[in-house]
Amino acid sequence: MTLLIVDDSSVVRRAIERDLHSGDITEVDQAQDGEEAVRLYQLKRHDVITLDITMPKMDGLTCLDKILQINPNARILIISALRDRATAIDAIKRGASGFLCKPINPPELREAFELMLSD
Amino acid sequence: MKDEDIQVFINSARRYFHSIDASSPLVVEPPYVKENSPPFLEYTGVIRISGKAKGVVCFTANNTLLRQILAELHDEPKDESAIRDLVGEIANTLSGNAREQFGKEFLITVPVILHGQQGEFRFPAHSRNYVVPLNWRSQSAYLLVCLE
Repeated sequence: MTLLIVDDSSVVRRAIERDLHSGDITEVDQAQDGEEAVRLYQLKRHDVITLDITMPKMDGLTCLDKILQINPNARILIISALRDRATAIDAIKRGASGFLCKPINPPELREAFELMLSD
Repeated sequence: MKDEDIQVFINSARRYFHSIDASSPLVVEPPYVKENSPPFLEYTGVIRISGKAKGVVCFTANNTLLRQILAELHDEPKDESAIRDLVGEIANTLSGNAREQFGKEFLITVPVILHGQQGEFRFPAHSRNYVVPLNWRSQSAYLLVCLE
């Protein structure tokens, strides 16, 4: 399984990679903004994606739309500090598979990730 | 901004530090209002706010506290970039979490990082500037909330 981690914070990207590291994930790529994420996704069509919202160049919700235009079945877990219900509902309506609020802790992240994979 | 609105930022700070280490409580001292000279420490993450509110939210801390957080995250900083990245991410998290109270129209930018005690920072023109002193593992930090 291939994983794409999209977040403008390198600390968060590394934390997510460590927390999700398992035998099931064979390859991990990282992107620091939405534009880079779309470019990488077009090349490699990752099996699963974690996606921040507040990022430079292209925000996460625009990136979500663009990746879903490429592949409507893409599995995308939003991981964002934006802790309001409207943003979470908006992301799910657009096609995100799940929404997790920062700050994240490893058990919650793994649970959300596994829930997304089980759908 | 009303005085009671500061509580949502305090709750966000408590939630953040609890997520880092639940056994090391964050001590929040009484907030106060400051008109000049931001209480900046070594590193500061600045988030600009627009939409429903206008102003800035800052989180400032010293190298020691930030390195302790990185250690809890099992992150080994090779250089200063991880420290700068972290202080920005904390400011982003505390600001973004405030949408729990202020809603979707509380718009936040990506962080700008300042290094040093003053940097290029100026208080917004018409804001009420709240300083929230924080203490975690005997290390000081400040949350600065400046909103119209």
